[in-house]
Amino acid sequence: MSHTGSKILNLNLQIWRQAGPDQPGALKAYQLSGISTDMSFLEMLDILNEQLIAKGEEPVAFDHDCREGICGTCGVMINGQAHGPDNATTTCQLHMRRFNDGDTIVIEPWRAKAFPVVRDLVVNRSAFDRIIQSGGYVSVNTGGAPDANAIPVAGHKQQEAMAAAACIGCGACVASCKNASAMLFVSAKVSHLASLPQGQTERSKRVVSMVATMDKEQFGNCTNTGECEAACPAGIKLTNIAQLNREYMKAVLFSGE
Amino acid sequence: MSDSAASPSKAGILDWFGLRWFFRFLSSSIGQKFVMAITGLLLCGFLVVHLEGNLLLFVSAEKYNAYAHFLHSQEELLMVAETGLFVLFLAHLYLAFATAWGNAKARVDQYAVKQTKQAKGLWAASPSTWMFASGSVVLGFVILHLIDMKFQARPDIVYLDEHAPNAPYANALAVLSNPISRVVYTIGVIVLGFHLSHGFASAFQSLGLNHPKYTPLIKWISRLFAFAIAAGFASLPILVPSLSR
Repeated sequence: MSHTGSKILNLNLQIWRQAGPDQPGALKAYQLSGISTDMSFLEMLDILNEQLIAKGEEPVAFDHDCREGICGTCGVMINGQAHGPDNATTTCQLHMRRFNDGDTIVIEPWRAKAFPVVRDLVVNRSAFDRIIQSGGYVSVNTGGAPDANAIPVAGHKQQEAMAAAACIGCGACVASCKNASAMLFVSAKVSHLASLPQGQTERSKRVVSMVATMDKEQFGNCTNTGECEAACPAGIKLTNIAQLNREYMKAVLFSGE
Repeated sequence: MSDSAASPSKAGILDWFGLRWFFRFLSSSIGQKFVMAITGLLLCGFLVVHLEGNLLLFVSAEKYNAYAHFLHSQEELLMVAETGLFVLFLAHLYLAFATAWGNAKARVDQYAVKQTKQAKGLWAASPSTWMFASGSVVLGFVILHLIDMKFQARPDIVYLDEHAPNAPYANALAVLSNPISRVVYTIGVIVLGFHLSHGFASAFQSLGLNHPKYTPLIKWISRLFAFAIAAGFASLPILVPSLSR
C-alpha cells in the first residue's frame, strides 16, 4: 500500500489506561515501531493493540465506528488537542504523516464530569443523548414526503440549518472547553431545528428543555473563549451559540415556557 | 421532563408573584451569563463617566472641584447611584463566583497535556482564559481605591478636610502622588483593560448578538475601548503627580 514518500515512524506513546469507571487511571508508556505515515491514527492504535494482544496484555479500549469522519464515535485528546493537531478533522481522519519519527504522543480520553470514563479512552457520552431526548427532535406529524419546494425555506436559512446539522455529536467541544461546556453542541442542535419550518412548533419548548438538561448534566458555562469552535471537526460556528442565547431569551421572555 | 425542575408542590413567594420562570432563568447557565453581560456593560458605562470626571484633573483644579461638589450637592441622587453601582458590582461578582464554581465542578480530572487549536498570535495571553483571575485583581484594586478615595482611610496619606473648598483636588493629588498608589493604580487599570478586552465583546455574544455583519467591528471596538480605558486611567497615576510640581 505504501507509495513513494511514505515513511516509517518509531513512536513513544503515552496512553491513558483505566480498567473501569471507578478504577484509578494513569498514563502508560508504549514504544511502537514500524508505523507507516500512510496509516490513520486509529490504524496506528490497531497495530498497538495487535501487539498487546500477542503479548497477552489488555488492548487499549477506544471508540470508533465509521472511520470516515461522519459518525462522531471516535475522539481522543492527542497531545492536548481534541482529535489531534488538524483543523476540522476527526481522530479517524487524522493520519500519521502529521507526526515525526521519534515523536512522543500523549493520548487521553475526553475529560468532563458529564463524560465519565468507561475504560481507557472510552467515555460515556449519554449526557448528549439525554439532551437530545429532552427536545432535540421534531415530533409534528409530517405526513408523506412533500413535493419539492412545497415548504418554502429561504436559501440562507437552509444553509444555516445545514451548517448546524453538520454536528456529529463527538464531544470535542466539551473536551476542549476549559469549562467542559456543551454550548456548541446544544447550540448546533437548537439552531438547526430553529432555522427550519418543521422546527417551529416546538421551538420554545425545545430550547428551554435542552438548556435545562444541559445544566442538569453538569456541563460548565460558556466563557466565549472559542476553543470549541477551533476544536470542532464539523466546523460548527460560535454564531450558533449566540443564536442559542437568543432563542433561550426569546423563549423565556415571550413564550409560556 | 427536565423543564419542570420547579416542583409545583412547593408554592412560595415566587409563585405569588408568578416569578418562578424568572428564578429558573436566573439559575440557568445562559441566564447567568446574560445577567453577567448586562451588568458588565453597565459597569463599562460607569467607567466612561468615571474617567470623564477624573480627566478634569488635567483641566484645572477649579473644574475638578466644581465637578466633585456638583456630585455631592445631590446627596440623595448620589446615594441612589452608588447603591445601583454597588448592586451591579455585587451581581457581577456573585455570578463570577457562581459560574466559576460550576465550571470547576464540570471538569474534576485535568488533562496531562492541553493545547489550544486557536491561532492566537499577539493575544497569546488570551484574556478570555483569565477572566476570573483578572476580575479578582480588579476587585482587589477597587477595594483599595474605595479605601483611598471614598473612605479616605489610608494611614500613610494626609487628607484635607472634606469641607475645605480645594479638598477633592488636593486629596486626589495626594493619593495619586503616593509612590505605592502610582504602581498599584497603574497595574490595576492595565489588568482592568485586559479584563475589558474580552469582557466587552463577550457580553454581546452572551446577549445573542453575533453576526458576521457587526461582530468583527464589536471585537475591534472592544480592544479599542479596553485600551482607551486602561490608557485613560493609567494617565492619572502616571501624569497627575507632575501637575503639583
